Amino acid sequence: MSDTNEQKPDTGPADLVISPPKRSFWRNLSYVWLVPLAALVVTLFIAWQSWAERGQRIEILFENAAGITADETTLRYRDVEIGIVEDVKFAPDLASVVIGARIDRTVAASLPEDAQFWIVRPEVSASGITGLSTVLSGAYIQAAFDPVPEAKATRFTGLEDTPLILPGMRGTKVTLRTDSGTQLTPGAPIFHQGIEVGKIETPRLTESGEGVMVDAFINAPYDRRLTSAARFWQVSGFSVNIGPSGLNLSIGSIASLVRGGIAFDTVVSGSEPIRSGQVFDLYDDEDTARASVFREEIENPVDLTVEFDESVSGLTAGSSVVYKGVKIGSVSFLGAFIEERNNSQEVVLRSVISIDPQRLGLDAEAPTAEVIAFFANAVKNGLRARLATQSIFSRSLVVELVELPDAAPDTLGIFAETAPLLPSVASDLPDVGATAEGLLQRVNDLPVEELLDQTIATLAAVESLAGDENLRAAPDAFVALLDDARGLIGSPETQALPAELNTAVSELRAVAEQLRQADAVNRLVAALDAAEEAATSVTDVAANIDTATETLPALIADLQALTEKANALEVEQFLAAASAFLEGADRLIDTPDMRALPASLTGALDEAREALAELREGGLIENTNATLASAREAASAVEDATANLPELSRRIEALVAEAERTLSDYGSQSSFNRETISSLREVRAAAEALSKLARAIERNPNSLLFGR
Amino acid sequence: MENTGRPPHILTARDAGLVGCTHCGKVHPPSAAVCGRCGAALHARDIANLQKVWAWLIAGMVVYIPANLYPMLSTASLGHTTENTILGGVIELMHHGSYGVAAIVFVASIIIPVAKFIAIAFLGLTTTRRVRMSAHHRHVLFEVVEFIGRWSMIDVFVVAILSSLVRLDFAATITPGIAAISFALSVAFTMMAALSFDERLIWDALEDE
Repeated sequence: MSDTNEQKPDTGPADLVISPPKRSFWRNLSYVWLVPLAALVVTLFIAWQSWAERGQRIEILFENAAGITADETTLRYRDVEIGIVEDVKFAPDLASVVIGARIDRTVAASLPEDAQFWIVRPEVSASGITGLSTVLSGAYIQAAFDPVPEAKATRFTGLEDTPLILPGMRGTKVTLRTDSGTQLTPGAPIFHQGIEVGKIETPRLTESGEGVMVDAFINAPYDRRLTSAARFWQVSGFSVNIGPSGLNLSIGSIASLVRGGIAFDTVVSGSEPIRSGQVFDLYDDEDTARASVFREEIENPVDLTVEFDESVSGLTAGSSVVYKGVKIGSVSFLGAFIEERNNSQEVVLRSVISIDPQRLGLDAEAPTAEVIAFFANAVKNGLRARLATQSIFSRSLVVELVELPDAAPDTLGIFAETAPLLPSVASDLPDVGATAEGLLQRVNDLPVEELLDQTIATLAAVESLAGDENLRAAPDAFVALLDDARGLIGSPETQALPAELNTAVSELRAVAEQLRQADAVNRLVAALDAAEEAATSVTDVAANIDTATETLPALIADLQALTEKANALEVEQFLAAASAFLEGADRLIDTPDMRALPASLTGALDEAREALAELREGGLIENTNATLASAREAASAVEDATANLPELSRRIEALVAEAERTLSDYGSQSSFNRETISSLREVRAAAEALSKLARAIERNPNSLLFGR
Repeated sequence: MENTGRPPHILTARDAGLVGCTHCGKVHPPSAAVCGRCGAALHARDIANLQKVWAWLIAGMVVYIPANLYPMLSTASLGHTTENTILGGVIELMHHGSYGVAAIVFVASIIIPVAKFIAIAFLGLTTTRRVRMSAHHRHVLFEVVEFIGRWSMIDVFVVAILSSLVRLDFAATITPGIAAISFALSVAFTMMAALSFDERLIWDALEDE
């Protein structure tokens, strides 16, 4: 446009239009201006956003700031990061640490005054290890609160420890009342049917200082099980209880073992729900807790009166009323009354029992009249009250309702001013003491003395039988018999046998030694070698006949002399001697004595067997044990005796081996040799028979007695 | 260039009633809209050009503010997150004793952009106003600004490379912050501003005297 203006310098100025500058300001305005505008908008938006995201500043007071670092430590709610610590500084009086933090605005908007903050650090306690993740990531501040819209608290006081019950947790808080808090540890678990359903807080003294109160928190949904019928009791790890029902040992979980614990259960049904903060009693153990139900909480109880003629010592208010072993109520009142009866005053022991109609299977809401009608009917059918002992070990009594169809007919006494009278019968167990006494009396009456006398007489008879002469003689006879056998084995002939053999062997050995000393064989071999040499030299010499002819006769003469020398050796003599010796040995082994040895042993054993048969026939079977003992002694004597037999056989065998070795040294397959060897084999066979016998006796000495 | 300062009368294309192409230098009759040789748009001096310069410059300056206030990059290492602005990074580098690197970062990220703003603003203002600086010097200044523009991206490159390389999840992760984008935009905008500036305006003022 400026160009057109410039193009017309000569034309009249009338053509110039004034308006363009005005238009041109906007017209000339480039679209590029949108860029800084957009940049500005974006920048402002970012600025606004980061301001909006900056979060609300809150301040938390802590005793100390262990593990807290500015700009690093985070704040978490339900384990989601909601902010970061901005600064850590002291309170003006230096008494505490003020931690300034920025937290998310949405969270800050509903942060109530009672929000709880605590520092999560790694922690090891009896119930486990917590906060392990903070070892790596560092400590953080955990927040717990029940969100309240529009609550914008900014100043808080932090907790020193992790709170046991967090605000915002769903459940019911109740208070437990007990006498002592020795077994209560803060954080101890609460069990319901074995499942951990809550925790207790730190126990505190009541204002009067006479009891201990502890807040307990039952998590949802288990708190629905908590009704006015619930009973709490302590479970301190394990409990041992010896009572009428025997030994009772119960062990809880490890956690409860270490920290103690509390259990609760709903003992009766049909009770109303509780409100938060309700106070319950804490019982020492489960039995007490369960028993307490009957004492206090009978709904719609029906009172009946029972009069007893006998002593009610052991019955107290609170004692149970039992029907067929089931507790259906309790004694609520016990007292003596003076009654006008037959124109005289009588003291009557009257007790009032409260019956739980529910326990009898009646409707809990049933009107009293209905229950009384039920009892009136039952009494007509023989229902009676009587005293019974709770257990044989205790003197405490219970009121027992029994059905006695054959009891004297009676009716339920209905009175205007007192409870209906239930007829009673005398109990069939009057007194435990008396029973025990009766038992002792019966024990006393037992004919103990007579029994003892009889026993003594019996024993004396037994003794006399054992002391019988014949009985004593029997083992002696057997011993003599065995002595005979031993004598036989130990006879000089038998004993001499090894010695003779020994001498024979030593002779043989001496001969062999002589032979060895003479070096006969070697020399023979050497001579033969020499002869061979000579023969070789002869062949050599024969090549030079000229020179050799003179020396040949001399050589032959030498050879002859040598052969003669060899012949002169006393080989034949030795062989004859050896043969003679072996024959002697053979003879020796062949001696009748030697042969007779096993036979005589057998004879002795036969004798023994016979003796035993006699014994058996003697009809003293009752005393067989004693006899057997002595027989066994005898057998061991036999065994000792037979121990020599293997020795003997060993020696014979050694001798044979020696002789055989000598002979094999000797070498050749002469008939003499064969004979010797066969005779030696015989010797060995004899020795083997001997050792076999010895072994048999050793293995089974009884075979001596029973012939097997 | 002995004719700088008070040059003798030079016949410019505009004086001759022609339009010179800013791209290839060919002159055309004023009616021509597009350069017959290179196809670039033809225009004589246009006051709108200067508007563009100012617009880009202001845009660059605007985005330069968050570029300095917001973290350039956030380093997450073993659960600890550290965020650093440009200036904060420079200070940290100095604390670590890396004065050289600190100086480079400081010059590239603070001094040069600021100097560019000043230079472009100065050039834009002096097209219509009389100053002591000679036209020739201003022209040199413009050339320097145009040249140096592309080198201002060092920071952005560093952030881009680091954040794409250091991705070790838990051990170390670097993520670019808002400042990185802002800074990149700022550099781009100032480059646009320099590009939009018609250096002939420097000389026009001289001619008009």
